Amino acid sequence: MTPFLKNMFVIARRDFLAIVATPTFLLFLLAPLFMVGMGLAGGMGASQLADSARGAGRIVAVADASDVPALRAADVRLRGGLTRQVPALVIRIAGPANADPVAIAREKGSDTYAVLSGPLATPRIVEREPDSNAGRYLALLADDVLRSKAAGPLPPVAPRFESLSSGGTSIALQQSLGFGAVFIIFLLTLLLAGQTVSSLAEEKGNKVIEILAAAVPLESVFLGKLLGFLGVAVLFIAFWLVMALAGGLIAALQIDPAALASVQSASKAAAALAAAPATGWPFFLGIGFVYFILSFLLLGAVFLGVGAQAATVREIQMLSLPITIFQVGMFSLSTAAASAPGSRLSTIAQIFPFSSPLAMAARAATDDSKAVHLLALSWQAIWVALVVFLSVRLFRAGVLSGGSSWKFWRRGGRAVARAATAAAATTAQPADPH
Amino acid sequence: MNDFSVEARGLTKYFGDFKAVDDVSLAVPTGSIYGVLGPNGAGKTTSLRMTLGIIDPDAGSSRVFGERPQAVRHRIGYLPEERGLYPGMKAREAIAFMGALRGLDWSEGRRRAATFMTELGLERVIDEKIRKMSKGMAQMIQLIGSIVHAPDLIVLDEPFSGLDPVNQERLETLVRRERDRGATILFSTHVMAHAERLCDRLAIIARSQRRFEGTVDDARGLLPMQVRYTPRADADASAIAALLPAGAELRGDSWFFPIDDADVEPMLTRITASGLGVAGLSITRPALHDAFVHIVRQVDASFDANAGTDAVEEALA
Repeated sequence: MTPFLKNMFVIARRDFLAIVATPTFLLFLLAPLFMVGMGLAGGMGASQLADSARGAGRIVAVADASDVPALRAADVRLRGGLTRQVPALVIRIAGPANADPVAIAREKGSDTYAVLSGPLATPRIVEREPDSNAGRYLALLADDVLRSKAAGPLPPVAPRFESLSSGGTSIALQQSLGFGAVFIIFLLTLLLAGQTVSSLAEEKGNKVIEILAAAVPLESVFLGKLLGFLGVAVLFIAFWLVMALAGGLIAALQIDPAALASVQSASKAAAALAAAPATGWPFFLGIGFVYFILSFLLLGAVFLGVGAQAATVREIQMLSLPITIFQVGMFSLSTAAASAPGSRLSTIAQIFPFSSPLAMAARAATDDSKAVHLLALSWQAIWVALVVFLSVRLFRAGVLSGGSSWKFWRRGGRAVARAATAAAATTAQPADPH
Repeated sequence: MNDFSVEARGLTKYFGDFKAVDDVSLAVPTGSIYGVLGPNGAGKTTSLRMTLGIIDPDAGSSRVFGERPQAVRHRIGYLPEERGLYPGMKAREAIAFMGALRGLDWSEGRRRAATFMTELGLERVIDEKIRKMSKGMAQMIQLIGSIVHAPDLIVLDEPFSGLDPVNQERLETLVRRERDRGATILFSTHVMAHAERLCDRLAIIARSQRRFEGTVDDARGLLPMQVRYTPRADADASAIAALLPAGAELRGDSWFFPIDDADVEPMLTRITASGLGVAGLSITRPALHDAFVHIVRQVDASFDANAGTDAVEEALA
């Protein structure tokens, strides 16, 4: 091992142990539990609300008694082909009690979205919102009943459904896999990389920085710190991955598979799992993890460099907002790119170094070429090195030399002022009588 | 092999518009103890930092063992002026960590840490966390940390400040022992007693510039020797004054005056011939302290004079 790498690992080891061997780390490790708990509580509340609202919604058809069976049959037939949920159909027999559709629409106790009344050929449809789905559906029902009346009884259609079980994954599913990859990498980076901003504050606070700067190249201090934090991040992810797998295993053993299959959302999840990213699952997961590491190192290096310039804890706190906004910016760019593979925007997102890991992870879901990832990884690694190099230069020139160089405008201003004074002195000299 | 472990030439550093170090050169002979003396804020620490390549000079260069200081980091041990250790680390680990930074194996570092700490009477706190220690103890830990890898050059910035007399004594012993091992020691201080006892050579920095370089005796030789003479016989003060060099002062029974080396024997001859007798006579070289104060005052005086002249010139213009 070269001395540089050795130094890097010495720093990384110290940082990793200093973070992990504290009670605070336990709090950090378990923090997602709060998030999961809050999410569960919120989700349950929302679904209860939705359930109660769904039970109260309806559409009403006021029709002659003779049309009721046909209406019911048409409702059953048409409902199966709709992608959007239509409220339950309530049929009332036309008569003096149900003469006013507006009154029916305003009845208390339920949300009435549309009411159909009058002859089926020229029905009057009162709807809550203009051009509503519910109103169009009632018109469709009337149309269907009229047609079946005119045509007489038809033999029932007997369709044979065949599914394309090995026909490849749809583009949309692959894109959503890409989006998922972007989101997960972004979330993990947001949660974990932001910590590097304050990592040099400790050394500056307890003056250890001078010992480090004298003993080892600052580049290895910066890289070692990044590595230490990456170790913490990987430990965090591994812990939750193991927890999730264990949880999943226990759940699978507890729940009856038949019951699981009958749940609609579970079958959707199964469909998503059955969908394969363009590069295949093993490669996609592997490269996704590598892109997470690169994303962490890239953003972590920027934050470390910026944080190293800050003089006080207050300044570091102030820096956390622009840093979060920067991360969200990279996320937005990458999600926009993930939803439009092959577009110019996605190329930009893949080339721009700080969004590149996110955008390239999304690309792995939709594009099956693998060599391009090697290129992207090298490109991103170069940028990690470049950012660290620049951060070190700034740190050496500013903080270690005792100057407040991150306020570059002041330094620049002073230099300009000095140059101006010198220029004034030289121009004034010839006019000097002495 | 080069005779100098450290060769710094023309080091200059600006902090903003302030010239903190102005054309300072240092040449530290291999195997010697070299002191950099100077009043507070003279530029000692900045000079040492530039010498070690921790900060870049605006002008000048530094060579350690004939190479760039960054290339020989593992052969250097450095105790910075601003002491710093990770408070959560145990003493043994902190020393091993500092050794590991300079390429020493962790386990060897831990072993040497225990040996050093026992030698310096710190065996009770080997596995104690730094935050539980007194400032002086932590300073000794850091000192051990900076020499645990047996470096060829040891640079100590104000090593004695903050230590009690017993620990100062221990540190002096440690410094001599490291020199006997073959290491070169470069340290800064403004406490003259340590420099006088330890240094083979020294440099005095005042107002950002090097004002003196040489041995302790050279420095003391800058000032004339001091004579204290007490005549045995009673005599008229003016008669005795006539016998002694101009500027002799009578305090109590004794006369005090400076004397040049060449004037010692003639003066003794005059006193013997005068018949006044000698009740007491001492001829001493001034201490390093006096030489230091003399040099610094001279520099300050010239600065004040320059400032005065500048002010007059400005007023006339």
